[in-house]
Amino acid sequence: MAVAVPTTESLATSSTEILPTASTPAGGGGFRSHLGSLLFLLPGAVWLAIIVVYPFIATVVRSLFDASGQNFVGLTNYKAIFSTTDIIVSLKNNVVWVVLFPFLVTFFGLVFAVLTERIRWSTAFKTIVFMPLVFSATAAGLTWASIFFIDPHTGMVNAAVQGVSNAVSPPGLYPIDPTTGQTVAGLAATGVQSGPGGTLESKTTVGAGGTLELGLIAISPSELQQNGAVVAVAPTATSGAVTGLVWRDFSPTHPTQRGQVFPDEDGIPGLHLSLVGSSGSATATTTTATNGTFKFDGVGSGNYRVQIDASNFHAGFSGIFFLGTQSLTPTSSLSPTEQAILSLPIVDIAMIIAYLWIWAGFAMVVIGAGLAALNREVLEAAQIDGASEWQTLRRVTVPMLMPVLVVVFVTMLINVLKIFDIILNMAAPSSQAGAATIAVDIYNEFSSPTGQGLAAALAVVLFVLVVPAMLFNLKRIRG
Amino acid sequence: MAGVVLQDLTKRYDGGALAVDKLNLDIHDGEFVCLVGPSGCGKTTALRMIAGLEEITSGEVRIGDRVVNNLPPRDRDIAMVFQSYALYPHMSVRDNMAFGLQLRKTPKADIDKAVVEAARILDLERFLDRKPGQLSGGQRQRVALGRAIVREPAVFLMDEPLSNLDAKLRVQTRAEIARMHTRLEATMIYVTHDQVEAMTMGDRIAVINEGVLQQAGTPKDLYELPQNRFVAGFIGSPSMNFIELRLSKDGEVLRLTGEGAELRPDDTQAALLRDLATDTVIVGFRPEHLELAALSGPVLSVSVVVDVVEFLGNDELIHGSSGGRDVVAIINADNTLRVGESVTLSAPPRRLHLFNPATGLRITKDGPAGEGGVARLMSTG
Amino acid sequence: MSVQAASLPVGAQAKKPRLRLRPTRLVLNIVLAAIAIFWLVPSIGIAIISLRPNSAFEQSGWWTVLTAPAQLTFSNYQGLFSAGFKPGQVLDSLTTSIAITVPVTILVTVISSLTAYSLVFGRWKGRTLVFLLIVAMLVLPLQMALIPVASLYKVVDTSTGLHLFGSLIGAIIFHVAFGLPFGIFLMRNFYSGIPHDLLEAGRIDGAGEWTLFRKVVMPIGIPALASLAIFQFIWVWNDLLVALIFLGNSSHITLTMFLYGQTRALANNYYIISSGAMISIIVPLIVFFAFQRYFVRGVLAGAVK
Repeated sequence: MAVAVPTTESLATSSTEILPTASTPAGGGGFRSHLGSLLFLLPGAVWLAIIVVYPFIATVVRSLFDASGQNFVGLTNYKAIFSTTDIIVSLKNNVVWVVLFPFLVTFFGLVFAVLTERIRWSTAFKTIVFMPLVFSATAAGLTWASIFFIDPHTGMVNAAVQGVSNAVSPPGLYPIDPTTGQTVAGLAATGVQSGPGGTLESKTTVGAGGTLELGLIAISPSELQQNGAVVAVAPTATSGAVTGLVWRDFSPTHPTQRGQVFPDEDGIPGLHLSLVGSSGSATATTTTATNGTFKFDGVGSGNYRVQIDASNFHAGFSGIFFLGTQSLTPTSSLSPTEQAILSLPIVDIAMIIAYLWIWAGFAMVVIGAGLAALNREVLEAAQIDGASEWQTLRRVTVPMLMPVLVVVFVTMLINVLKIFDIILNMAAPSSQAGAATIAVDIYNEFSSPTGQGLAAALAVVLFVLVVPAMLFNLKRIRG
Repeated sequence: MAGVVLQDLTKRYDGGALAVDKLNLDIHDGEFVCLVGPSGCGKTTALRMIAGLEEITSGEVRIGDRVVNNLPPRDRDIAMVFQSYALYPHMSVRDNMAFGLQLRKTPKADIDKAVVEAARILDLERFLDRKPGQLSGGQRQRVALGRAIVREPAVFLMDEPLSNLDAKLRVQTRAEIARMHTRLEATMIYVTHDQVEAMTMGDRIAVINEGVLQQAGTPKDLYELPQNRFVAGFIGSPSMNFIELRLSKDGEVLRLTGEGAELRPDDTQAALLRDLATDTVIVGFRPEHLELAALSGPVLSVSVVVDVVEFLGNDELIHGSSGGRDVVAIINADNTLRVGESVTLSAPPRRLHLFNPATGLRITKDGPAGEGGVARLMSTG
Repeated sequence: MSVQAASLPVGAQAKKPRLRLRPTRLVLNIVLAAIAIFWLVPSIGIAIISLRPNSAFEQSGWWTVLTAPAQLTFSNYQGLFSAGFKPGQVLDSLTTSIAITVPVTILVTVISSLTAYSLVFGRWKGRTLVFLLIVAMLVLPLQMALIPVASLYKVVDTSTGLHLFGSLIGAIIFHVAFGLPFGIFLMRNFYSGIPHDLLEAGRIDGAGEWTLFRKVVMPIGIPALASLAIFQFIWVWNDLLVALIFLGNSSHITLTMFLYGQTRALANNYYIISSGAMISIIVPLIVFFAFQRYFVRGVLAGAVK
């Protein structure tokens, strides 16, 4: 005997009555059936009473006691919650999640549901987008952590950004690494000083026929080898030209001596050089050879400096720390408490993207069911009334879908208030404190021997946050 | 206002099923035409093709002078009333009616005027700010009508608009629609499966079966001169009786005989029967045309054993059997018949309809006739 | 829907009127294809990472596999499996997860059915109130129960010598409790659609409540039970918080705990994380694909979990 599952339709209808009410059965049966069905209630009722109802009350009570559980402290724990910076950070993170995620996931669910109506392979698409729901937030968090790795060689997003960045402003042959504090000026060893615009320039000037020897340090031998460097050769003066040598002024055999070109010191190939006249503008360019020598031909009168272009040392893209707590809002000048409240950690955004990947499928399927249940004729009436597709969508379809959209929104809101797994598994270890939410704090406090009271209070706060959604559900069911 | 011309309109679905087969119909400007037929006959599909909600496989739809095949619904200057009303549930009655005009960027003052006027005609003024969910079925249907009126379209299309109403409301709304038609002098195409509705509302009726037009004509035409067996059996309630009789010659006199029935043809009928290729004929006669009398001269006589007698007040509805087949008759209640009684019922020649048993077509002098004729007949069994 | 549709031959069932979109149809397909690919990439990524040696992981991204497929290897999996069933290793965690998830699923489905039966077909006062309580419990964060239940377990452990805290049993008990509200909700909705006359006829024939439940209601409810079972299974399988709380110091841990534990390891150990993640994903993935219909139905019905 086939009985239709009322749940699918009941969720999708726009009317207020969501559930078919269980009507009162007619008489007959008497005491035995009365007892029997009451007996059926027992296992569930007892289980819930012991593990859900009693603990609920116990937690509220516990929150009014101190860490040991012996002394009544009233609202002290609650006061602590709102005055401890770390917990304020967690509350802030909850706010970020609540403000961004339910809206975004409902939006994408709606877009996907509407778009997939028009294609033939909608089932395949829906399966693909829905599948991540099956992953644990743990596995998903770890997966997305790897996507957001900071090293552009291994992290997909950073690799993509690097690709774009290198195309737009390619790194030089000898990039400096700002993360280690390296500067261009630090490369100067002999005959070289910092020049304008991040360049290095010769300390002395020469005229035509002159030579310059420019020594640099802190250039890695492997880089030199990569660029085909060979042993440095002393430059020969040539009339009418400015010649010179740029070499690595570091000899393993004479590590502390600078200025002399030792036989085991290599030239620095591939450097872009400019010849800068007294006016300050470059009159010629050239590139150093594999042995480090260079030559500017056809040099006119006057004195010149040789400039080593800044582009040689351009760092190139080194990766954004997506899983860190760098704030997207400008809060660096604020007090710690203000920072706690107003900063927007970038890791939150990364985690929200990962969480959207998991849950957009859910929103899409639920909204899709609501969409399928809409009365086609109303949409046809809109067509006949003269509405274009977009107008129909905006003024008829979406308003009619509003009840379903709200259900999805509220469900996701509740979900996100308790967000836990993904933070533990995706935020970098150094970001755990800055990315934590209330649920994470509860876990941490629970695990610490002195945090039980605080954990209870936090749990109550979490409950209070969930209450509006609870009331919404109750209203919807009774309606 | 404009007329609608359907030319060889055809709808074939992907699986090969033919929903509408070369429908030809000429609907005049201002005419009220009913498309009627049993469920699944293609009448709604045809209507939706006129509206632009179904793709046309082949053939043409012209509204006014324009061929509208490739125009989307909103460019066809039509309005449609759906069986389920299809009101916008989240908008008030006022907004429901104003929606179409708003989309066309009609000035607000004009919109208000049109909406208020339509509300007045349909007695909806006090509901203007309510939502459809707060209205009864009849009120909702009036809003659907109002939404159509406000658009002042060239053609009104209606898809079984009364089916969801209870009997009493149905009668009321039927009258309202008829009134609307007179008042607006609008071209209306009305789909229904209820032949009573069709007969009472239409200037002309198009009977459709299995995608094929059976006959198009005025209600009177269809009642008095059905061109094939299907139309004959479809129009009229209770439906026409059919018996198959065999041609026999009694000397020079032609007779049609069967078990329990005999037809003595008049001159016109005799002339038709003489040239007949078949040796059997299907004779149709309506229950209301049977009399409890044995008449002389040309007549159809049927001897009937009474099975069930239903008292209708002025008349009696008799269900009986004659020669193994069912016969229904309506006779005056003064003749109190009893179950099991054997009676002879008669029908005069002018109330008889003769059909070719092989083709189902009416036997006439020069073949099937009547407006919009039957190109091909599907099985009428 | 109009009566027409029902009487057309099956092949010609009228499609919902698709709004025509000819030139943009191609764009739409392309956009959706791009989205689908984007959605698949993370899963494909972690799968490929699990098939690369860790040394490769540290140097280049998994997408290099497209040009150098030779690097793929099962060595990560071999490593995990060769650790055997020792507590704290993948295989032991796998069995631990199973040992928790299966009993919870069975208990939740059975108890939910019984409770729902009582709520729908019982004749006692206060059914609506109890049901509303259940609805309220649907969104109750389980954090509200962690501390007292943990304390309760410890008290029971010390006074009776049972082992609840830190054992699978303790986790199972907790999971069942928080799976019941949704289970009861789902089954109650479903049972409401069963006509009472069916049971009245049974009662008149002399059947007791247990017989009615076993032979009439439960068989009819199998589709909903399937949805619930699958939904519950995947939910518990993927849980981390309850496992951490109740098995935090236990030697046997769940797969999710295993994976999380790897993030705290000092070494760069994505070869373990990725292959472990794949193992933890396989089971729910199989369940999902085998019972897709039921899962979706469960999700639709339970838009409040």
